[in-house]
Amino acid sequence: MIEDRELDAWREQWTSVAKPSANFQRDFRRKVQQRIKRHNRRFVLGNILTAIAFLGILIFAFYMRHQATWMGTGWSTSVCALVFVAVSLRIWVLRRTWRPEAQSTRAFVELWHKRVEARIRLLRISIYLSIGWLIFCAVLMAVNWPIIGQDFRAHPEAWVALLVVCVLMQPVMLWYGAGWLRHRKLAELHEVKQILDEMDGKNVP
Amino acid sequence: MSERRHELEAQFDRILSEHGAAISRLAFGYETVASVREELVQDIALAIWQALAHFRGECSERTFVYRIAHNRGLSHVWKRRPAHQPLDDIEESEQPIDPRPHPDEQVAQIDQRERLMSAIQSLPVAHRQLILLMLEGLSQAQMAEVLGITENNVGVRLNRARNMLKDALGARA
Repeated sequence: MIEDRELDAWREQWTSVAKPSANFQRDFRRKVQQRIKRHNRRFVLGNILTAIAFLGILIFAFYMRHQATWMGTGWSTSVCALVFVAVSLRIWVLRRTWRPEAQSTRAFVELWHKRVEARIRLLRISIYLSIGWLIFCAVLMAVNWPIIGQDFRAHPEAWVALLVVCVLMQPVMLWYGAGWLRHRKLAELHEVKQILDEMDGKNVP
Repeated sequence: MSERRHELEAQFDRILSEHGAAISRLAFGYETVASVREELVQDIALAIWQALAHFRGECSERTFVYRIAHNRGLSHVWKRRPAHQPLDDIEESEQPIDPRPHPDEQVAQIDQRERLMSAIQSLPVAHRQLILLMLEGLSQAQMAEVLGITENNVGVRLNRARNMLKDALGARA
């Protein structure tokens, strides 16, 4: 009986928290409609940009194919292969993380957990893929050195700048970018595990 | 197609009218900062709109709305800013309007309400969800449906969550 009174008192306090006025509700609806429109626009724009980027890479690869050296053929083939492998891997790793298995909060948290784990795996694979790409570029350059060497001697500054950008920047981006992302994802994984544990009644203070 | 869209829009409007206040209250459980809370409520409304087309009526509309609200709240807990504005700093305009006349009584009630909100926000997320659903008047069966756990589990955890809330309120007294 005491428990019920206590609950009634809490409920009374709780339900008096927010009583939005008619004006507030109108304004809220307008904002939600704007948000829905913005979301739809962003979705369409995102798809268009992805399609443009994909087409751009293919056009670039096609253009490079017509260059006389092995460099052009190597680049175009590897760019196409890299795009194909990256997209396939993404789809493979993120499979079964599109929809929750049931319509409940627990299923949502489980899906969230799966997604974070998949993204951490994807990040690790991306690092290996980037290292592989660097090695491939180095091999390609070594194979084409008789031709590249002539150009290198003719325009050394341009080549040094290109090498700095391509060879040095990529490891830096890999270390810092991937490190930061990994740290963030691991923190997210820890948080989700904690929520799942709380739902299972574990680790509750 | 357009007829279906009109139907969805009408349903969405109705959901906002019927459950708008409950959504705002649930958002209080996940966010103390008024401006961020408003964003969260809009996020929940957007998520409801996105899920509405897939809603086949397997559960009640209320369960559907609360489930989405809690899922969005959980994501928000992760994404929220690390620095938190204390409850005392909540903007004056966001303070709930209470029609009761006596100012002292009103102040006491606001104080009690803030204590309750603050205590709820100090609970672990999974317990907070149970308390929020309990305060919204859901039965244990409905809570089990929203959260995806058994009714027995709801009973056990709800008891624990209530005790934790009592402790938290006691510490704030």
